[in-house]
Amino acid sequence: MKKLIAFTLAALMLLSVSVFALADEADSDLAYVQEKGTLVVGITEFEPMDYRDTDGNWIGFDADMAAAFAESLGVDVEFVEIEWDNKVLELEAKTIDVVWNGMTLTDEVTEAMECSNAYCQNAQTVIVPADKAADYQTAEDLEGLVFAAEAGSAGEAEVEKLGNECTPVLTQADALLEVSAGTSDAAVIDLLMAAAMVGEGTSYEDLVNTVNLNSEEYGVGFRKGSDLAQALNDFFVESYEDGSMLEIAETYGVQAALIDQTADKAE
Amino acid sequence: MDLILQQMPTVLKALNVGFLQTLKLFVATGLGAFPLGLVIAFGSMSRFKPLSLLTRFVVWVVRGTPLMIQLLIIYYFPGMVLKNNIWGSGEAGRFLASAIAFIFNYACYFSEIYRGGIQSIPRGQQEAGMVLGMTRSQIFFRVTLLQVIKRIVPPMSNEIITLVKDTALARIIALQEIIWAGQSFLKGSHGIAGAIWPLFFTAVYYLAFTGVVTLVLGRLEKRLDYFR
Amino acid sequence: MAILDVKNIHKSFGRTEVLKGISFSLEKGQVVSVIGSSGSGKTTLLRCLNFLETPDGGSIAVNGETLFDAAEPATQREADIRRKRLHFGLVFQSFNLFPQYTALENVTLAGKLLAKEEPDYKTRKKELFAQIDGEARALLAQMGLSDRMDNYPHQLSGGQQQRVAIARALALRPDILCFDEPTSALDPELTQEVLRVIRQLADRQTTMVIVTHEMAFARDVSTHVLFMDGGVVVESGPPEQVIGAPSQERTRRFLESFTRP
Repeated sequence: MKKLIAFTLAALMLLSVSVFALADEADSDLAYVQEKGTLVVGITEFEPMDYRDTDGNWIGFDADMAAAFAESLGVDVEFVEIEWDNKVLELEAKTIDVVWNGMTLTDEVTEAMECSNAYCQNAQTVIVPADKAADYQTAEDLEGLVFAAEAGSAGEAEVEKLGNECTPVLTQADALLEVSAGTSDAAVIDLLMAAAMVGEGTSYEDLVNTVNLNSEEYGVGFRKGSDLAQALNDFFVESYEDGSMLEIAETYGVQAALIDQTADKAE
Repeated sequence: MDLILQQMPTVLKALNVGFLQTLKLFVATGLGAFPLGLVIAFGSMSRFKPLSLLTRFVVWVVRGTPLMIQLLIIYYFPGMVLKNNIWGSGEAGRFLASAIAFIFNYACYFSEIYRGGIQSIPRGQQEAGMVLGMTRSQIFFRVTLLQVIKRIVPPMSNEIITLVKDTALARIIALQEIIWAGQSFLKGSHGIAGAIWPLFFTAVYYLAFTGVVTLVLGRLEKRLDYFR
Repeated sequence: MAILDVKNIHKSFGRTEVLKGISFSLEKGQVVSVIGSSGSGKTTLLRCLNFLETPDGGSIAVNGETLFDAAEPATQREADIRRKRLHFGLVFQSFNLFPQYTALENVTLAGKLLAKEEPDYKTRKKELFAQIDGEARALLAQMGLSDRMDNYPHQLSGGQQQRVAIARALALRPDILCFDEPTSALDPELTQEVLRVIRQLADRQTTMVIVTHEMAFARDVSTHVLFMDGGVVVESGPPEQVIGAPSQERTRRFLESFTRP
């Protein structure tokens, strides 16, 4: 009996030691990624930043930039859909190497991750039915409206600042659904998303965006302390200067939101 | 309505892909948890005290914590704490981690049902086998087992139907099962955004699936009706 | 030589000593009835003979071969006990038929499993199984159950179930057949059909140890009667003596409790 217990303990210890021994303790995240030969990019489906083309390949401004960055490092790129709430967990568990998904640089985000410089302008914008748009052109006009916004999003925070009643919903798309169905008067979503999803030629032709409530910026998140963030900043400067970044942005209609990377460098 | 009909082919295709993942997780859990549950049941009934205490402790922990937390721990713990991500990043690793979490969790639930079933068989059955010169394993497989199965089919049916729906929990580690597939049309996917009906429509798949499972288990129950 | 020789069996459960040194022997073809009130240790004695309990002291020999000796660990090896049990058959008070098998399958199951241990099992499987089936059918016919062979236990009356159980025990041709209150769970009319079968077996010189409360039957069928009380044999001898003219006060009191309604 004692032998059995001793054996079990020994086996357990051996197992944990070997697991630790296999652990990659390299200081440089860049070296780690280059050694394994793949940059694993954590994304969610988010048009126009990351989405699938008809063949099922990942495209979008972020996806194309991520592919170009991986190429510059001499590694393959792999896109993995994640549960957005678990993005920091995924990074720390090394199940992904980077979060590149139109991520707003909030205080929470920059604290939990090693973030790149901002590369895209975004805003929280108000969505109302097209036939009522004329009445809601300034923030003052919005008084008394009942809003819908994604729970925990920057949009919800903006509605709170306005002091209006707000229905928290599961996703930004749900918020649009609320306005479309008339169950909420207005919604607050990302400007970049609004560009792709409301107005002429979209799923919600009868909705438009009016007031921008704030302005915010998109960035890319790495593991805390990762040297990949600096590598990406360098890459941003390079591709901004040679025009390739603008070219990709134009493909997805986000060129107006692009942030001048050479100006960032000067800071 | 027209819009839904127009979206239908794209949505069904995506839901089918998600459902296949749901089905795979269900089958893997079944294949793993049915036998593992039996091993755990024997462990908890062992006359070797440390083994039975250890087994019962593990069963208590597994049954006493949410499966969702177990999924998170199994998938993220190796990379985060042990600094060695053993699962990789892709779908295969997420599926494997999900399957292991589900198998272990369900095996613990099954083991308690097995234990109850085995202990409910009168001792006289085993003694009758013994005086007839049967070995322990002959008694278990030829005498006890079928009687145990007959008794545990109803409670196991409950667990199995719960399992069908529990597979949706694996989305917490981004396993793209059917709910994930249905929800993706809300945010926008395959050129469809803001559509909530695909999410509701997943219920039809679950209903059909549990319907089939109920039928199969009902037939099994009926086939064991010939003895009492 | 005695077919069964039981010497000084002791057995305790915790601090309760249930058997305090039981000895008796039996010649081939003899029938011994063990009588006594509940708690006297008769069932425990039977369970010791069938190795369902391990005695704390004493020995058991069959045909001169010592099957068990509390003083010799070599006789207590788990692996050998299974084979040793085959010297005895046991019919339980609650039948303990296997519910998922028909009457015939209940009788043949153990025999077919044991046949696997024969050296020429693979080549002679068909022949062996046919022989086992044939013998089982004959036994069930002898029990008056020719038309019940394919019934499941729950389709049979208690008396029929007990007769299947007797056939099942006989199928392995034990040297000694034991009965543990075989009719206690039965209605009076069903009791008679089972007793009739046991009487037939006695007529055919089957060696039997019967624990029973049926005094008239014990007197009628036995060559020997053991009266047990408090874990010891109080009185033993031919039935005319033990039941007909008991010499011990305790025996008399026990028997009186039966004649009173």
